[in-house]
Amino acid sequence: MNFDIEKKTGKTEIALIGRITFADHDDFRNVINVFEGEEGHEIVFDLSRLDFVDSSGLGMFIIARDTARKKKLSFSIRGARNDVMRVMQVAKFHKMFTIVD
Amino acid sequence: MTNDPVIPAVAAIVGADDPTRNLYGIDLGIPLEDRRVLVVDESKFNQKTLARFLLWAGIHQVAFASGGQEALDMVETFAPDLVLIDITLPDMDGIEVCERLRRKKSQMDLSILVQTVVTSDILRTICFRAGANDVLSKPINPGECIARVRYHLERRAIIQELREFRERVEKDLRMAQAMQVGIAPEEEAIAALAAKHNLDIAVHFQPCNEIGGDFWTMFEIDENRIGVLIADFSGHGIPAAINTFRLHTLITREDVRALSLDPAAMLAKLSAGLLGMLPLGHFATALYGVIDTSADLLTFAAAGTTNPVIGDAEGLRLLDGSGVFLGICEGEVYENITEPFPSGSFLFIYSDALVECRSPTGAMLGEPGLLDLIIEHRDFPIGPLIPIVADVLKTSGMRVQDDLTAIWITRP
Repeated sequence: MNFDIEKKTGKTEIALIGRITFADHDDFRNVINVFEGEEGHEIVFDLSRLDFVDSSGLGMFIIARDTARKKKLSFSIRGARNDVMRVMQVAKFHKMFTIVD
Repeated sequence: MTNDPVIPAVAAIVGADDPTRNLYGIDLGIPLEDRRVLVVDESKFNQKTLARFLLWAGIHQVAFASGGQEALDMVETFAPDLVLIDITLPDMDGIEVCERLRRKKSQMDLSILVQTVVTSDILRTICFRAGANDVLSKPINPGECIARVRYHLERRAIIQELREFRERVEKDLRMAQAMQVGIAPEEEAIAALAAKHNLDIAVHFQPCNEIGGDFWTMFEIDENRIGVLIADFSGHGIPAAINTFRLHTLITREDVRALSLDPAAMLAKLSAGLLGMLPLGHFATALYGVIDTSADLLTFAAAGTTNPVIGDAEGLRLLDGSGVFLGICEGEVYENITEPFPSGSFLFIYSDALVECRSPTGAMLGEPGLLDLIIEHRDFPIGPLIPIVADVLKTSGMRVQDDLTAIWITRP
C-alpha cells in the first residue's frame, strides 16, 4: 500500500493506493497519525486508486473511523471501485461509514 | 556424556598462558564458554598449539583425540559442537572421519573443520564433499583459526536456537490445532444429527496454517429444526484462532442458545458479545441458518459473508450473504431471510477462501466458477462437497491462501 496526503483548510484527503492487506498494518499507523485537526475537520479516504482490500484492511478502515470519532473529526470514504466496492457492499459499509460518491 | 577432567587437561596442556589473553584485540562476540571442541591431531605439539588458540577464542571445553577411531568414539562421549581434525591420522584419514561422522544422523549439523598441509583446490573440494564445513591450511594462523572456529560455533548456536524455537512453536501449534478441531462438533455427532433429521451433511474444515480464523458448528434445536453457523474472523493464524475460541464460548452460552430459532437475533447477540471481546479492527463474517424439516423452510441471517447457494431440481440460486460484520457496531440489526427448503433441496455455505482461490494463471474461481463446479458434481452419490473441494484444491495447486470451511446439507 502507498498513500498520498493532501492537506487543505478544514480537510485532509488521503488517497490509498494499491493493495491493503495484513502486511500494511504498521504503515497504516502512519495514515492514522495524520488524523489531526479542529473539531469537525474532515478526513476523507480516497479509494479511487485502491485495487484490493482484504479482511485485515477492512479492519483498518474500522480503526480509522474509530480514531476520527474519538478526535471529533468527520470521516468519509469515496471513490471505491471494482473489488473494493464489492467487499464494502457485502459488509454493508454504508450503514457504518459516510460513503460519498 | 560429559568428560569432566577435560577442562583441567586443557589448562595443563596449554601451560601457564593467560586464558583471558585477547589475540590482536579480536572482539569475541557472543560467549562460547559452554561450547565443546574436539581436536583430532596425532601430534601432541599441534594439540597443544590448537588448544591455546581455542582458549584465545574463548573456548574452554576442549578434548583431544590422536586417531580417527578415537575421534569417532569421542564424538559420542564428549558431544562436541565442533571438530577440528587433521587430514593425516595414523589409522584412517580425516576425510574418512568426516564421511563417517556425516553418516550419523545425530551429527548432521556438527561443525567439522579440516586442517591440511596440501591446499590444492581438488583436495579442498574433496574435504567439502566429505562433509567438512571449512578447510584450514597448515601451518595454522591463530587469528584465522579463531575467526573460523568462532564463525562456525556461532552459526551452530544460532541454528540450534532457531531450531529449539521452531520445535517449541510447532509443538504448541499442534496442540492448538487439536484444541481448535475440538471446538467443532465431532464427526459422530454430525452423523447422528444427520440421521435423526434425515439430512445428508458433509463438512470440510482446513486452516491455511496449523490454526486459523474459521469456525463452524451445528446443533439440534428441537426435533424438527437444526441450527448451523459458519464464521470467518478477520486476519489469519493465531490471533484469528483465539477469536474463534471467544466465539465458541459465546455460542455455548445459554442466553445465546435461547435465540437459536431467530437467526437475526442470534447474530445481533453474537455481534454484541464479540464487540466487547475483540480488539478494535477485528471482526467476523458469519451466517447462521435454521433448517426446519417440518415446515420445509430455511431461515438465515448473514453478516458480510459469501453468498450461500441453495438448489433443488429446478436449479441453483445464490442467496444474499451481505450484512454488517460481527463485533464492530453496537446495536446492529440483522435481517432474517426465509427460503423454501423442501425435500430434494440442498444448502451450500462456505468461507471466502473457496471462491477466492486462484489457478496458477491467477484466475479467481469466483461465484460463477463455483456454480459450474456444483452443476458438474451435482449427482455425486454422497453429495458434491468432496469432489468440489478436491477440484478447487487441485486448480489452486493444493494450496489455500486462507482458512477454508465448507458445509453441504441435502434434504433427500
